[in-house]
Amino acid sequence: MATDTAFSTSSGSKRTERIRLLVQPAVVVIGVAATLLWAFSRDLDDIEKNNINAESLLTDTWDHLKVSFVVIVLVVVIAVPLGVVLTRSWAKIAAPFFLAIATIGQAAPAIGVLVLFFLWSGWEGLWAAALPIALYSLLPVLRNTIVGLQQVDRTLVEAARGVGMSSPTVLFRIELPLAVPLILAGLRTSLVLAVGTATLAAFVNGGGLGLLIDAGYKLNRITILVVGAVLAMGLALLVDWLGAVAERFLRPRGLR
Amino acid sequence: MSETTDQKISGVEIELAEVTKRYAGQKTPAVDGFSMTIPAGETIVFVGPSGCGKTTTMKMINRLIEPTSGQITIGGESALKIDPDQLRRRIGYAIQQAGLFPHLTVAQNIAVVPGLLGWDKKKVRDRVVEMLDLVGLDEEFAGRFPRQLSGGQQQRVGVARALAADPPVLLMDEPFGAVDPITRGNLQDELLRLQAELRKTIVFVTHDFDEAVKLGDRIAVLGNQSKILQYDTPEAILANPADDTVAGFVGAGASLKQLTLMRVRDVELKTDLVTVSTEDTPADVRQKLTNARKTYALVLDRRNRPLRWLHVRELASAGSLATVGRPVGDTVSVQSTLQDALEAILTEGGNAAVTGGRGEYVGTIDIRTVTDTIQQVREEHENDHENSAGGAG
Amino acid sequence: MPDSSGRTHGSAVAVTIAGVAIVSIWEFIGQRWNVLVPEALLHASAVLQCTLIAAVLGVLLGVLVYRSPAGSAIATALTSAILTIPSFALIGLLIPVLGLGVPPTVVALVLYGLLPIVRNTIVGLDGVDPAITDAARGIGMGRAVVLTRVELRLAWPAILAGIRVSTQLLMGIAAIAAYAKGPGLGTEIFSGLVRAGSANATNEALAGTLGVVVLALVVDGIYVIISRLTTSRGIRV
Repeated sequence: MATDTAFSTSSGSKRTERIRLLVQPAVVVIGVAATLLWAFSRDLDDIEKNNINAESLLTDTWDHLKVSFVVIVLVVVIAVPLGVVLTRSWAKIAAPFFLAIATIGQAAPAIGVLVLFFLWSGWEGLWAAALPIALYSLLPVLRNTIVGLQQVDRTLVEAARGVGMSSPTVLFRIELPLAVPLILAGLRTSLVLAVGTATLAAFVNGGGLGLLIDAGYKLNRITILVVGAVLAMGLALLVDWLGAVAERFLRPRGLR
Repeated sequence: MSETTDQKISGVEIELAEVTKRYAGQKTPAVDGFSMTIPAGETIVFVGPSGCGKTTTMKMINRLIEPTSGQITIGGESALKIDPDQLRRRIGYAIQQAGLFPHLTVAQNIAVVPGLLGWDKKKVRDRVVEMLDLVGLDEEFAGRFPRQLSGGQQQRVGVARALAADPPVLLMDEPFGAVDPITRGNLQDELLRLQAELRKTIVFVTHDFDEAVKLGDRIAVLGNQSKILQYDTPEAILANPADDTVAGFVGAGASLKQLTLMRVRDVELKTDLVTVSTEDTPADVRQKLTNARKTYALVLDRRNRPLRWLHVRELASAGSLATVGRPVGDTVSVQSTLQDALEAILTEGGNAAVTGGRGEYVGTIDIRTVTDTIQQVREEHENDHENSAGGAG
Repeated sequence: MPDSSGRTHGSAVAVTIAGVAIVSIWEFIGQRWNVLVPEALLHASAVLQCTLIAAVLGVLLGVLVYRSPAGSAIATALTSAILTIPSFALIGLLIPVLGLGVPPTVVALVLYGLLPIVRNTIVGLDGVDPAITDAARGIGMGRAVVLTRVELRLAWPAILAGIRVSTQLLMGIAAIAAYAKGPGLGTEIFSGLVRAGSANATNEALAGTLGVVVLALVVDGIYVIISRLTTSRGIRV
């Protein structure tokens, strides 16, 4: 366990993670099933029927996942290479600068970043949501890539050079694999941020489960609101769980 | 690779000429004009205080540190003209705490260099098995990860990795520095055994002079800026340190350390002791002792192995030789070091029985033999510095 | 931009992200000063009060469970699962239960603020060298005294770090709470969103967003000072 100096949904303890690995998906399945049973067994009026039906629920969930997926792909494609570059000796000086920018960026409220991008670009839909959310969810992966590469034991790098590995070989065969646990932890945090923030995509016509919450609130239909909120929660917990599973099984076996 | 080349030297000569390392912003060079010839197939140990530049000097051989000026020749080829990565694949490298890659299995760690050299998979697999066997590890270790090994086992894998591509040269940077004394002793013995078999050119860095004495064919005692204070055999350095700094580094007990370098078979044994068999009668023994003008005899068993010390006084009350006398406590073999012999002499009280390969009595060694031998070595090396000053350059 | 060259107080952040809007954003802030300042104060006070409640609850919870591995595991599992929940979903869910305005805002902020504090309290207390607590018991301190005078003092840097993370987190979430008519700068952002296309929409969203950034950085600076002042000099790194 380490003390926490940045946002992360990982509990930081192995025991806790084991509990969550088992309990979290069960809670999600039960909670979502109960909510849907409750909603569909109620006497729904026309407005409610318009929003709560299998087709629209699936569309909203799918849109939500689409935004989240695009975000996470953008994050990985941008943050990992950037982190690698910022730890190379020739670019090291730039690292604090980029981290400072990213940290200030994350101090900005997600809703503000999203709305501003929408107002300035005039775009709407998937990309209007995905780009600013990616920017907002970038920091955990970027920071963990940098820290993960920096904490690789220097003597190991020298040993790798000493047995005749070229610098790209050292990067891909030694440094990156050893940084994988931290990068995965960052990815899990980014994933949770992405799925959470994707509920706001509805405000820029990006669809998603936020749409149901917004509709329920504006149309004063509690059933719609509750179904949207519970589905969004379930999705987030599920994605976090996937992140935890990935953290557990994708790390190199030789590392604890 | 040729057949049965166990005794053949597989190492090559290394020559460093006026090698200098100067770091930007530092007034004095870290290594200043280092010149040395390292003969093929020998183990050379760099010893010196920490920060003297011994590790820097070693790392310039495989160019982990690039020399500022000077020439390095390995097996007749200029090391500075080869691509550094290619160069390093031909030089084994073992470091403190082994430096094993924690995310790779033991087998994968050992296979790193053969893999880089593009060996085919089958050859690499065979080689891994061979290397594990060479460093005395079971084949079952192949699939384990470094964290599942003890420190000593990790070091063995480190050595196996360094030797995997059969490099003629092996650089070892305090490889046994981080393990407990008992394991370290074992690893040192193991390295001696390996080297007797492989005859690589080994450059070994340590700050432990005893380790240097034990492992080195030659020792280079280094001072600041990697200045060579003395470069000679361990015997010569122990017998006659070049100056006070070296003497300080050799430390107290140089003569005692000298004893660890010599074996009982190298000295002349005494054979004038009266030996008797258990079948002899007390009267026979008395007669023998009187003839030889001695007061005690050594009783041997039927296979000529030493059994008991017998004093003439004890004969009076004895009926047979089966039980009488003081049991032999400590014997030494011809393989033992003089240090072991001295220990036996001290416990036995002036004289120790020496046994041969099958435990048979071959003679005795006493304190006089030991002191004479030390004296002799000292005299041999007394005039070293006049000679070596010109030679080592 | 001849206009901006004279404005020495223009921040670098604003220049880079504001682009075109810079010409009028300062004027806009000037005009709306009397609205923006109370909103910023409300935002800060909501966040800080909720952080305080979360800190009291979180430390209490941490102290209660840190001796039991199972308790610690359950407490961190629960609080970290809460943190995973999208804030917009939780706030939405609270509306039917608690209505609009302050109540859902406070509940949501306190819940989100818990995890970093609980986690760091447990880690901090766990990290206290047993030899030190043994020594404290040995010289005759009671359990409660050991906890308050030794363990919590030594765990304080970790706890404070957790509180700091919580505050940063709540700054952003409070902006979303404006959706449920919660107080603060989020109001500006949502108002900008609603009036998309109108003259001051971007300015409103920008003022709200920048306001939160500035608040977050200022409060973070204050935490640095607090941590220097309240950490025993013996354990400062």
